[in-house]
Amino acid sequence: MACARVPLDEQQVTEPGPSGKERTLPALHPDRKEERCFVPYTPPPENGSPAEVEEFLERAKFIAEDLEWLLALPHDKFWCQVVFDESLQRCLDSYLHQAPRGLDLAPLPLSPAVADVQRAVHRAVFLTFLRMATHKESKDHFFTPAVFGEIIYDNFLFDIPKILDLCVLFGKGNSQLLHKMIENIFTQQPAYYNDLDETLPTILQVFDTILNKCGLRCEGAAAMEPMKLNAQKQPTAMSMNLEELADIILYLCDSTTTIHAFLDTFPAACSSFHSHGFLSRLPSFYEAVVPDFEKAIRRRNFDDKSLQEDLWTRLSHSCRKVVETTHLLLHHTCLQPILEGQENMHTFAEELLQYFTSFLPEKRFLVDYDEQFPLADDISLLQQALPVIDETRTSYLLQGVESAWDSTGRRRPQGHLQSAAAS
Amino acid sequence: MAPPRLTGALRSFSTVSKKEDPTRQLYDLKTKRLKRQELFAREGLTWQKIVHFCTEHWGKAEQQAASQELKSLLQAAKQIVGTEHGQEVIECAAVFLFETFQNKDHVGTEETRAIKQMFGPFPSSAAEASCACVARLVAPIGDSKVEDFIKTQSSRHNPQQGSSFGRNIAFSYDLYTLDPLEDLQDSGLCDERVELDF
Repeated sequence: MACARVPLDEQQVTEPGPSGKERTLPALHPDRKEERCFVPYTPPPENGSPAEVEEFLERAKFIAEDLEWLLALPHDKFWCQVVFDESLQRCLDSYLHQAPRGLDLAPLPLSPAVADVQRAVHRAVFLTFLRMATHKESKDHFFTPAVFGEIIYDNFLFDIPKILDLCVLFGKGNSQLLHKMIENIFTQQPAYYNDLDETLPTILQVFDTILNKCGLRCEGAAAMEPMKLNAQKQPTAMSMNLEELADIILYLCDSTTTIHAFLDTFPAACSSFHSHGFLSRLPSFYEAVVPDFEKAIRRRNFDDKSLQEDLWTRLSHSCRKVVETTHLLLHHTCLQPILEGQENMHTFAEELLQYFTSFLPEKRFLVDYDEQFPLADDISLLQQALPVIDETRTSYLLQGVESAWDSTGRRRPQGHLQSAAAS
Repeated sequence: MAPPRLTGALRSFSTVSKKEDPTRQLYDLKTKRLKRQELFAREGLTWQKIVHFCTEHWGKAEQQAASQELKSLLQAAKQIVGTEHGQEVIECAAVFLFETFQNKDHVGTEETRAIKQMFGPFPSSAAEASCACVARLVAPIGDSKVEDFIKTQSSRHNPQQGSSFGRNIAFSYDLYTLDPLEDLQDSGLCDERVELDF
C-alpha cells in the first residue's frame, strides 16, 4: 500500500520485485499492474442462437467480474491498472462504442440472464469512468490536479468521442454525476476544449455528408463550393434504396441525440458549438433535410410498414433534438448572459435578435422551433431585461413567425397565440 | 451489424482519439479462461490443503475411502480441463470443483455456467461425477466446518468488497429513448396508408 497524504503521482512504494528482492519504485508504475486480460465487449446478439447467447453471457460476465475487481482495488492499484493496462482501455472503449443505446432498433426482448449481466456491465463501466474522472477520491487518495489532467489526456483515458458516448449512454438518468465528471475533466485539462474545437468541423461534416448523400445542399461552407459535374447523379431520399435511407435516418437520429445529450449534460460546451456557427447551420440543415425525408417516408412504398413507422418516429425525434439543441445554444450563449445581467447585454441581445431574424426564411424550422419554444416568450424576456429594445424589430420578428405558421398551414397551439398577443 | 454512430465517425475521422493498432492482439474467451485459471490458482486454497483437511476430518478407518474420493475428483477434473494439461492445472481444477460443489447436491445452471466460464465446454458426466464426489467427501465433515475452511483459506472469499468504489452511489439505468416531435397518429402517416390501400 502506498503512503498517505502525498499525491499518488509523488508516492513511492517498496515491494518485492520479480526476483523476490525488495525494491522501491513509483506508486504509478507499469510493473504494479496485474495481468488481468480484459476482453472487449460485444453487444447482446439479435435473434441469437443459444450458442451466441451463451458466448455473450460468458463475455459479459468476465467484463462485469473484472470491472468489479478493478473497482475494489485500492486507489494506487486502480490507477496502475487504468494507466498501464491497454486491454482495460480497449474493453471500456468497446463498451462505449458498441453498447446498445435506448434508441437502437428494438431487438427482441432480452432474456432475464442477458438483461441482468448487461445491467451489471453498464453500471460497472459507468463507475469505472466515474473513478477515472475523480482526481481526489478522499483526503488520503488524490492526485496533483495538473498531473491528473496530464495522465487522463496523454493516455487517452478520456477523449471527445468517449465523452459524447458517456453522455448518450448514461446522461438520461445520471446527468448530475456525469456533469460533475465532465466538468472536472475539462477543468483539470483545458486541452479538451481544443480537442472539442478540432472535433466540431468533423461534426459539421457529418451533416454535410447527410445532405450530400441525399443530393441536397444547404447554406454554409459546402454551399460555397462549386457543384461537381456528377452532382446531379446523386440519388435523392426518394430514389435511393430503402436500406440506405434507413441508414441515413438512423445516423441522423444518433447524431442529433448524441450532440443534444452532450450539450444538455455539459452546457459549457455550447460556446464552442456557437463559435463554429452551429446556430446558423442547424436551421438551414433542418430546412433542407426534414421536408425531403418526410416526403420520402410518406410516399415511398414500404413492404415493411413497421419500418416506415420507425423511420417516421426517428425523423421526428431528430427534429425535436435539432430544435432543442438550437434552443440550448441560444439560451446558453445569448439569453442567459442577458438574464444574468452580464456586461455587453446589448451585444448579446443584438446577436439573439439576429439569430431570430436569420430563422425567418427557414419557415419549417421556425414553426417547429416556435411550437416548442415560443419566440414570443424569449422576446418578452428580452424586453423585460432590456426595455430599450427596438419594438419595430420585435414586431417584425413576431409577424414573421405568424407568417411562417400561415405558410405551413399548421394551426398554432392556443397558448402560443396568447403569448404572442401579449408581446 | 452496429448502427451508424456519430462517435464512430469522430473516432475514424477526427484527430482527437487514440488510433487503434489493428495488429494488436485482443484477448479472446479462451485466453481469458486460461488467465482466470491462473488467477484462481493464486487465490490461496490448494489441492494439498483440501487433501489435508479431508483426511484430517475423516475417521482413520475411512481414510482409504476418502483417498479414493479425492482421486475420483482429480479424475473428473482431468476430464473437464482436458488431458493435455499437467498435474498442476488438474489439481487447480479440482480445487475449483470442490469450492463450487461443497454446498450443492446437484449440478445446477449456475454451476454449469461457472465451470464453463472457467474451463470452456466440458463433459456433463464429469461435472456430475465431481459433484457426487464432493458431496461424499464433505458429508462426514459437516457444512459449517467446510465453509469455515474455505473462507479462511481462499482469498476469493475475503475480497475487499467493503471498500469497493461507488458501492453507495445511486445509479440510474434510464436510457434516452425515442421522443418524437409529432405523434404518429397526428402525422397523417396512418391515414395516408389507408388511402394507399384503397
